[in-house]
Order: sequence, then structure tokens, then C-alpha cells
Amino acid sequence: MARYLTQRLAASVVTALLASVIVFTLVRSVPGDVVAQMLGQTSDPTAERALREFFGLDLPGWRQYLAWLGNVVSGNLGMSWTRGQPVGPLIGGALLVTLQLGFMTLVVATAVGVPLGLVASIYEGRLLDKAIQSFSLLGLAAPVFWVGLMLLVGVSSLAGWSPPLLYAPPTASVADNLAILALPIASLGLLQAAAYAQFVRQSVVSAFHQDYVRTAIAKGVPLRLVFFKHVLRNIGIPLVTFMGLILIQILGGAVIIESVFALPGLGRLLLTSIETRDYPVLQGALLVVVVIAMAVNLGVDLLYRVIDPRVRLS
Amino acid sequence: MFPARTIGRWLRPLAATLACLAALGAGAAELYGPEAKDARQGGTLTVGSLVEPPGLDPFHQGADARIRVTVLMYQGLFYEAVDGEAAPLLAESYEASPDKLIYTIKLRQGVKFHTGQPMTARDVAYSYNYIRDPKNGSPGAGDFTVITAIDAVDEATVRITLSQPNASLPMTLGNKYGAVIPAGYFDAADAKTKLNQASVGTGPFKLVEFKPNSNLMLARNPDYWEKGAPYLDQINFVSIPNSASMLVGLTNKRVDLALLNRPQDVRQVEKTPGLKTERWPSLNQKTVDLGSEYGPLADARVRQAIALGVDKDEVMRASIGGLGQVIGTMVAAMQERWGLPLAEVPNQKADVESAKKLLAEAGHANGLELNLTTIIGYDWMDPAAVTMREQLARIGVKLNIQRVELGVWIKNFQSKQMGFTFNDWATQPDPNLLFYRHFRMAPEGADFRNWKNEKASRLLDEGRAENDPAKRKAIYLEFQKEMARSVPTIMLFSADLVTVRSEKVRNYVQHPTGWYYGLARTFVAQ
Repeated sequence: MARYLTQRLAASVVTALLASVIVFTLVRSVPGDVVAQMLGQTSDPTAERALREFFGLDLPGWRQYLAWLGNVVSGNLGMSWTRGQPVGPLIGGALLVTLQLGFMTLVVATAVGVPLGLVASIYEGRLLDKAIQSFSLLGLAAPVFWVGLMLLVGVSSLAGWSPPLLYAPPTASVADNLAILALPIASLGLLQAAAYAQFVRQSVVSAFHQDYVRTAIAKGVPLRLVFFKHVLRNIGIPLVTFMGLILIQILGGAVIIESVFALPGLGRLLLTSIETRDYPVLQGALLVVVVIAMAVNLGVDLLYRVIDPRVRLS
Repeated sequence: MFPARTIGRWLRPLAATLACLAALGAGAAELYGPEAKDARQGGTLTVGSLVEPPGLDPFHQGADARIRVTVLMYQGLFYEAVDGEAAPLLAESYEASPDKLIYTIKLRQGVKFHTGQPMTARDVAYSYNYIRDPKNGSPGAGDFTVITAIDAVDEATVRITLSQPNASLPMTLGNKYGAVIPAGYFDAADAKTKLNQASVGTGPFKLVEFKPNSNLMLARNPDYWEKGAPYLDQINFVSIPNSASMLVGLTNKRVDLALLNRPQDVRQVEKTPGLKTERWPSLNQKTVDLGSEYGPLADARVRQAIALGVDKDEVMRASIGGLGQVIGTMVAAMQERWGLPLAEVPNQKADVESAKKLLAEAGHANGLELNLTTIIGYDWMDPAAVTMREQLARIGVKLNIQRVELGVWIKNFQSKQMGFTFNDWATQPDPNLLFYRHFRMAPEGADFRNWKNEKASRLLDEGRAENDPAKRKAIYLEFQKEMARSVPTIMLFSADLVTVRSEKVRNYVQHPTGWYYGLARTFVAQ
């Protein structure tokens, strides 16, 4: 296990390095930069030169990259060019919001989606199964921004209530924190639950057609035992894989729901950094997303071994 | 007995001084908005903002979203009064030499920075010398090119020397770019970034916190030089990046005041109990720019034909639901004072037959194809583009609409490769500040549209130097005729500024620039 972990970490470093090159090149390939954004519809070549020099944009690309990489390795992500605040705490604060949103959504989606999928599989072919499948299809098709807006406007119109405007961390006020996250979690959670339900249903139905399950039933093993002791354990690995993918998807794609509900999360930080061409924030945030994706993948692989000890990690 | 010549030598500078003092007196009463005799002191106002300031540095950040809020923290020597005059702000009075090359400005007394230190002439000289040196990277540097020196004469007097007369100098010393800050502020290496964390201006409010993608909190400046102002204790600008959430916030009373952009949003809330919707004239303009570097647009006849093919009223109604005013060659809030009457504007009214004739003369009898650029995020541009596509199809012009991101558009604009594009910009209430940089030939102006019109450039130089209001207006009327005749741009309409406020919010007057000056005179009722 130690050898496996060492190898994975070494591979992660190489991946992160490669990702840093791609991130650095990608953000600079978009036309316009922070100087153009700051000067706007004024144009003075001397002022432009002065600002480019201030931000180091007059240096060759490879020098800018090495300077940035050197700072990253020493734990310094630099200063935001537009906010004037250190990038690390900026990303850290935004990440906490998105992580909380992501994990709570995962919990809700799992708690709702897995039972729905199980029920659908048990009542395969009957009305309840069809109803749950319809819900899954709607959830897979519905755009997340539409669901979020419908919930926001609906709750506001019917109950005369809307979430607080400013995000409060759970350490400041649990009540306010839950109040602002309730609707975004419900929106994302419902959609992910739909995906879960579909996945679990297909997996369970497929497992029930396997020989080992039919043998167990033929031998008189109670259905409940067949279900929990055999079927669930065998769909555990694909379920964990699916959970990992869902989490990465939520973390990377939270920008839409964060914009609808005005949450100061990582997605919104990425979006505003793109608009203002704030390269230090953009590069730092993208690198963080890559690292999180790698960490989630590693966590999923380690969970395989827990679920099925026969799995060899290599 | 004094000879007439001697008397004349005395009278002329006296008349000039009296004129300056009179002009100052006329605007002095209503700084930032009307005073409220029954104002309640205290309270916090929550302002919903669809666009967040990208930073709070008034010296290096040119975005309008920044200017809107920093005018509450930072002040220049003059204020852009709604009647179009430059009213004294940190200046108390000024006089100009007979040749209009030297301005001597007396400073207001008792002004302190947010840091607590008193403001002196040295701070004023430092601040404006910083802005006007392009090596410091200020987007406002181009407006100060006629200034050759700014000196502190004594603790309370500043002298500004010009290379040539400039009638819009007081307005230039306003609040769009830069402000008066403590001398030596930018000597520190991290000075530029610190402005996002702590304000160092003289304004009625000071910065408390600025959280990206969250909110910007201002608090009353207890040392503000005008007694009794501001009325509010705090203003909280909350960033709400989509309209639906903004409307929900307004309806549920979480947001007290907001500026709305889209007509469909205004329609949704204008009848909501407890909310008041108001329309205000603006200094903004929505235009179509025709860059002469773009193939067929180099021919003035093609540009004129396009102007004759556009029905401005139809475009306005399609894009902003009529919440604005069709314009000719001047923004709506300056039309009365500076604008060419619409009936006299060449190429103002749609005329399909004349347009086709012009295109044929220019060698495009079989029509031509053009790419029209719009900017993502500017909601009015999409319906406007579709409407114009239909209109220009009638004269044989096929429009391909291409949407670009703002950063890309700005890059094209600054490199003078605008092509055929929509534009959306605003001005301070002075025709020189509106027209000069955009339309005067290089090197004095930027001439972003590559118009290269010598007559227009000469008129702009004359208008900038002329101090007599009547003569100045005549020059700008002539310029507007030339601009409308030759069509480097088609000024479509000015969109009204539409505010929605809770009924408890009182005395808010929206400044025509769109900036939040009025919040200094706003109070919340119990």
C-alpha cells in the first residue's frame, strides 16, 4: 500500500506540473488582458506599457511561467491583480463555500437517489418504477440554472421568503449558513439524485440477472439478505466511482448555481477572474481544481480496496 | 481719470473672475443631490448590484462599475453637477488668467483624508501630477495632456498651467479618474493593491470591507467636511449577478435599492406594492460604430447608407422596451444644452430609397455583406442586432452577427480594429470630454474609428479652447453636423437609468452618469 501511495503521489506531481503548463498557456491564449480591461475605452500607449511592466506582462511567457511556478512551489500563489488581496486566502475562502456545497449536495443526492434507485429496481416494470424513471429522465434533461431559478422564484412567490444575500460560514451562524445553502443544495441535489436513481436502478437490475443472485434466490436465501449482502456489495465499486465523478462534476460546474444564488464560491471566482483576466487568481484556482480532482480519484481508488479486499492496487 | 484702456485692462480679468465665481455659486447648493431637511440620520442601506467593481483603485481602474462606488469615497476638485456645470467640491473657488492658461484654485478648508490627516495643496498637486503622468498607468492620463504644470502655491492654493486653453478643465478635474489622496501615497510598492482594502480619500464614506463576489461595505466618514452629511451610517453593495435573483431580493425586501438594465425586469416590479420605480435621464449612449479600417466602411457613402437604413426608434423599442430616448448626435441628458436639434441632424431619419441609391453609387448595387459585432453580457445588443439585421436587409446589406466577450472587444477597440460594432459608453457632461479623445485625429486624439476627418479635428480643437458658452456651443453644433454627415458612428439612443427602491428609501436622486452620488443624500425612514 505504501508503495502504491508513493507511486500515485509521484504521478500526481507530474500530472500537476503538466496541468500547470496547460493552465498557464490556456489563460493567456484568450485575447485581452488585465491591462486592456483596466484601461477600457481609453487608450494611451505609455500608460499601457507602464501597467504591463507593473504586472510583469512585458516579460517573455516562459519567464512569467517560471516565476509563477517558483512561487507556487514555495506556497505563494501571488496577489490578485484586481482585488489586491493574496490569492491563497481568496481561493481558500471560495473553496470552502464550494466544498460545503459539493459535499452537502452529495449527501442529499445519495440519500435521495440511492433509495429511489433501489425501489425502482425492486418494482421493475411496474408503475412506481416508471414514475421514478420519469423523474430521472427529467432530472437528467433539466438545466441546473432553470431548476435553481424555478426554486428561487417559486419559494419567493409562494412563501414570501428568499435566502439571505450574504454567505455566512457555519462557524458564524449555522442557521444563516443553512438558509443560504438550502435552495442551491436542493437544486443541485435533485438533479444529481435523478442521475443516481437511474444508475442504481440499472446496476441493481443488472445484478439481479447474474447467476450468483439467481442461485442464492433458488437456494431460498431471503430476498432482503440477497439484496443487502450480495447485490449492494457488488455494485459498491461502480457506485463509488459514480460518486467520485458526481463530486468532481459538482465542484467544477458549480459556477452556474453559484451565480444564480450569489454564492461566493470557486466557480464564481473562476468566472469573474476570466472576465477581468486576473491571471494569478485564475491560474491558482484552476490548479486547485486539478489537485482536487486528483485527490478525489485517489480517494475513490483507495475505497475500492475497502469495499472489495480482492482488489489489488497497482 | 483713468484711460479707457486701463479700465478695460481691469474690467476684463474682473469679469472673468466674477463669471467663474458666479458659475461656482450656481452649482454649489446641491452637491451629490438635494439636501433633505427631514432626513433621518443613521441606518444601513442594502444596494443590489448586478455588476461588481473589478477593483477600487480610482487611479488605475477605468471600469464604470468601479467609478459608481468610488465617487462616494474619493473626491476631485470639482463635481459633475446635473446641470452640466463643474461645481466646486474640494475647490472653493478658482480664477483663470485672461489668456486662460493659468488656473489658480483656492481649496476648501477643513478637509481631512480617511486617514485623519488634513488635505493641503501639496496633496492636490501630487494627486493630479500622478494621474497626468502616463508612466503611472492611469487611464485618465489622456485627459490631462494640455496641463504642463501643477504646483502648490501655498497650503490652500494650487496653480495649474496649461499649454493651450481648455474650457473643460474644471470638469476634467472631477471624479472619473483619480482623486485627491495624501502626497506620496504611491511611493509604497503595494500602494496600488492596498486601495482595495482601505480607502484614503476625502469622501462622505470610507471602505469597511470588500469581499470579492460577495459585498462591498462602506461606512459614514465621521470627519467629512460637510456637516450633517451623509445621512446613512452604512451602505452595503451586494453583488447579485443575475436579474431573477435581484428581483426576488427587491420583492422580499432584502435589497433596498437597485439599478435595473432590462425592460422585462422593470415590468415585473413596477407594480409591486412597497417598491417605487423611477426613470432618470442619462449621459450614456448606445451606438453603432463604423470603423473606416473595415473594408466597405472606408467609403462615407456606405456609412451614410447604413445610417439611412437604420430606424433608431424601432431598435430602441426592440432592445430596451422604450425605456430611453432616441438621440441624434448628443446624449440625452446634454441634448438641451449642447445638442443639435434632431430635425437638423443629417441622416437621422430612415430612408430606404436614398440608402439604396448611395450604396449603388458606392459600387454595391447588388448589396454587400458585413459582420456586426456585439458584446456578450450587454443584453440590449442581441435584440438590437436582430432588428438591425432586418432593417439593413431592406437596403441590401446582409448582416452576420458575431458575439464576442468583453475582453476581446476591448482589445479590438484599443488596437483600433473595431470594425462594425455596437458600443455602449457614457461621458461626463462636457462635449470636449465626450468627443475629443474618440474622434480627434491622432496624435492629439485616439480616433478609435479611424475616421481621420480634418474638419472635425479642427472643430474639436476650437471647441476645447473656446470659453465663451455661446461660441462653444456653435462650434459643437457644427461638429455634430459633420459627424452626422460623415457617420463614423450612429448614436442610436440613450437608455434611461431605471432605479427600483423600497418605499422606506428616501431622497435618492440618480445622477445621469449612473454613478451613486445620490447615496450621500439618501436616508431610510423608520
